Amino acid sequence: MGNVFSGIFGKLWGVNKEIRILILGLDGAGKTTILYRLQIGEVINTKPTIGFNVETLSYKNLKLNVWDLGGQTSIRPYWRCYYANTAAVIFVVDSTDKDRIDTASKELHTMLAEEELSDAALLVFANKQDVAGALTAAEVSKALNLSDLKDRSWSIVASSAIKGEGLTEGLDWLIDVIKDEQL
Amino acid sequence: MSIEKRIKKMFAQPKKGETYELRAGLVSQYANERKDTIKQVISAMTVGKDVSSLFPDVLKNIATHDIKQKKLVYLYLMNYAKTNPELCILAVNTFVQDTQDPNPLVRALAIRTMGCIRVDKMVDYMEIPLTKTLNDENPYVRKTAAICVAKLFDLNRQICVENGFLEKLQNLVEDSNPMVVANAISALAEIHETEPTLNVLTVDSVLLKKLLLALNECTEWGRITILTALADFEASSSDEASHIVERVVPQLQHSNPSVVLSSIKVIISNVEKLQGEEHEVVLKKLAAPLASLVSTAPEVQYVALRNIRIIVEKYPHLMTNYFKVFFVRYNDPLYLKLEKIEIIVRLASSSNSNMILNELKEYGYEFDVEFVKRAVRAIGQVGIKISKSASKAVDILIGLINERELYNEVVISLRDILRAYPEHSAMITPTIVQSFDKLVDPEAIASFIWVMGEFEVVNYESRLSEFVDQFNDLDIGVQNALVYSIVKINVKTGALKDLLAKLFNNVDKVENIEVRDQIYLYWRILSLDDSSELKKLVLTRLVKIETTIPQFQPELLEFLLRELSTLNSVLFTTTVGKGSKQTQITKIKDVKLNVINDENLLDFDDDDSETSKPGESVNILDELNDLFSSSSISPPVNNSSSTAQIAQNSTPVSNNKNTSTGGVSQDLLDLF
Repeated sequence: MGNVFSGIFGKLWGVNKEIRILILGLDGAGKTTILYRLQIGEVINTKPTIGFNVETLSYKNLKLNVWDLGGQTSIRPYWRCYYANTAAVIFVVDSTDKDRIDTASKELHTMLAEEELSDAALLVFANKQDVAGALTAAEVSKALNLSDLKDRSWSIVASSAIKGEGLTEGLDWLIDVIKDEQL
Repeated sequence: MSIEKRIKKMFAQPKKGETYELRAGLVSQYANERKDTIKQVISAMTVGKDVSSLFPDVLKNIATHDIKQKKLVYLYLMNYAKTNPELCILAVNTFVQDTQDPNPLVRALAIRTMGCIRVDKMVDYMEIPLTKTLNDENPYVRKTAAICVAKLFDLNRQICVENGFLEKLQNLVEDSNPMVVANAISALAEIHETEPTLNVLTVDSVLLKKLLLALNECTEWGRITILTALADFEASSSDEASHIVERVVPQLQHSNPSVVLSSIKVIISNVEKLQGEEHEVVLKKLAAPLASLVSTAPEVQYVALRNIRIIVEKYPHLMTNYFKVFFVRYNDPLYLKLEKIEIIVRLASSSNSNMILNELKEYGYEFDVEFVKRAVRAIGQVGIKISKSASKAVDILIGLINERELYNEVVISLRDILRAYPEHSAMITPTIVQSFDKLVDPEAIASFIWVMGEFEVVNYESRLSEFVDQFNDLDIGVQNALVYSIVKINVKTGALKDLLAKLFNNVDKVENIEVRDQIYLYWRILSLDDSSELKKLVLTRLVKIETTIPQFQPELLEFLLRELSTLNSVLFTTTVGKGSKQTQITKIKDVKLNVINDENLLDFDDDDSETSKPGESVNILDELNDLFSSSSISPPVNNSSSTAQIAQNSTPVSNNKNTSTGGVSQDLLDLF
C-alpha cells in the first residue's frame, strides 16, 4: 500500500521523474567530455563514442538523464531513436572547425524539424573557446542560422569543456526553461 | 509550451496498441516504469510474440547500473540482434564500458553477450574488450572470454587470427584455474575441428601434465572436454600411458555417464601400451563402471549399450561376469530390449549359455512381436556360437514353434543351426516340414526349400512342383533356393527330372538375370559327362558356420573405439563430425534414415539385415561381387543383395559363405 501511495505522490510531485536531455553534435565536438565534465567535474580521456553514453546527474533538485550520442556520420541516422520524451537538446559545435560548420547547421535543422522534438528547448555550446582562432558565439549563431528558429526557446553559450567555462551558465539557462515548461 | 500547442496535443488522436504502450513505457521518465516494461517485453518475447520493432527503445536501456535490467536487455539483444544488425553498433560503447566494470559478473556478461551477437559489424569492435577480458584477473571472466574466441572464430576467422586471439587462447591453457583450462581446451577443440590446418590444439607431454592436473578440479563438463582432448593424445611410452590411466581411473566413479564414457575412451586408447599384468588389471576396472551405466535413464542407457557393444567386440571377456546386468527389464522400451539382446548374445560363453538360453526362452513368451522375433533369432545365435548348447537351443525353438506359432522366425533360426550342426537334422527337419503351410516370409520359405534339398525329406515332389509352376511369382531368394534344391535332389537321387526339364524349358521367361544365369550354369554342369566330377561340384556341403552374430570390420572397430561416447559410436558410422558443418548436418540426417531402415530390417528380417549394419562401406566392388556370387550356386542362406555385404564384412560367417560359393563358382569359370 505504502508503495502505491509513494508511487502516486512521487508522480504527482515529480520526485523520481527524470528529465531527458540529449547532447548532440558532429564527431569530435566534445560531447563526451562535456557529459563527464558535468557529471564528475573532470576531464577524461575519451575515445570516439560508438553508440552512446548515458549518465544521471542531479542538478538543482532535478534528476537529469543526460544522453551523449555518438556523432560519427554512420551513427547520426540513429539519433532519431532517442528523440522520444526529450525535454531539451544540447547541441555542441566545434568552434574551430570552420569547414564543417555548414554540415553542423544542416544536421541541427534536420533534427529540429522532427515532430518529437517540437517541444524541446535548444542550448548550443560554441565549444573549444580555449583554442586560438575559434569563432565567437555570435559567429557560430550566425553560421547555424539560429535566428531562423521560431516557436522554440533557444540559447547559445560560448564554452570550453576542457577549462570548464560556460557549461554551468548554459545548464542554468536550460534548467530555468525546463522548469517553466514542466510545471 | 505555447497554449496553441497544448490545445493541439489535447485533440490529437491518442495512439493505441500494445507495441505503442510498450514503447511509451520504455522511454518513460521513471526508472522503475522502464524496468517493468522491459520485463513485459521479455515475457512477450519468450511466448513468441515478435517485439523486434522495439529494438532501439530497448537498447536505450542497456546503460544501467541495475544488473537485473542489464541482463534482461542483453537477453533481448541476443535474441533480436539479427533483425536489426545496423542498430547493434549503438550498444558497442556500453559493451566496452561494461567490460571495465568493477563487477566481474558484469564483465563476463558483457563479453558473453558480445560473442552471442552474431552480427558482422560487431566483429570490428570486439578486439579491445576481448583482449581485456582474456587477460582479466577474474577466472570467471577469463573462462567466458575463452569461449568467446571460438565464437568470434566462427564468425570471422581472419580477424581472429590477425589479432592473435588464437595465441592468447593457447596461453589460457596454461592458466592456473582448471575451469579456464577446460574452457580454453574446449574452444580450441572447436576451432581445431572447423580448421584442422591451423593446428591449434596439439597435446604434448607438457600440456598433458597440465590437463591431468586440471582434470580433478573441474566441473563435469570441463572434465569431458579435457578427457576428449586426452583421448587424442598418443602416449609415447608405457610409463606415460600408465600415468594417464592412473589419473583417469578415478573418473570412472563419476556420476555423470558422459564423464565415465569419456574416461573409458581415454583408458582404452592407452591400455594397449600397458605391459604385463597392468593391462589386465586396468581392463578389469572398466567392467563395473560400464555395468553401472545400464542403470541410468533409458536414453542414456541406449548410448551406453551401443558403446558397450563396441567395447565387447574388442574385449569379449571384459563383461562376461556381468551378463546378468543386460537381462531385459519388463519396463524397458523396445529399443533398449533389442540392444540388450545384442549384448547378451555376444557375452554368451560355454559357462553361462544355459542361463542365457533360459532367459531368452522367457523373452520368447513375451507379448511384443518384434522383441519375440529378436529373441528367437538370439536363441539361434547362441546355439550356433556355443556348440554344447546347440541341442538345448533346438529344443527351445521347437517348443516355441508349437506354443507360440512363430513359424517364420523359428524356421530361419533352425536353418542357421543346421548350417552349423548338420548332425541335428533328424530333430530339426520334421519340425520345418510340418510348419511349411504356415510360412509366409520369403526367407523362411527359401530356408524350407533349402532344407529339402540338403536333407532327406519325404513327399518333397508335390511341394516343389507347386513352386515350379508359379516360378516367376516367387521371390528371388526363393527362386535361387528352388533351383539349387531341385538340381541337388536330381543329382543325388535321379528324381525330379520333369521339374528340372520344366525349369530348363522355361528359362527364357525368367525375369531376373541372376536366376536365369544360375539355371543356365546348372544346365551346362548337368550336361557334363563325368558324373563323379558332377557330384563333387553339386553335392559338396557348405562349410560349417561358426557364428551368426555380426561383427565389425577390424578397421571400423578400431575407428569406433576412438569415437566412444560420440554420435559415431551410437550410430556405428564414421561420418558424423568429420568435415564442414554443413555436410555434417545432412550426414546426420542420412544416418538417421539408415538407422530406421536398419531397425526395420532388424525387426522383420533375418541375420542378413543385421550383418548389413556394419556394412556401411559397400562399394562398387562389393556390388560386382554381389552380382557374381548370386549368379553362382547360392544356397538359400545367403540370398539377395546382402550377400555381398556379408562377404565383405569379413565376419567369420561371411568368410565361410564366401569361400564356399566362391570356390564353386571358380570351378564353374574353369569350365567355360
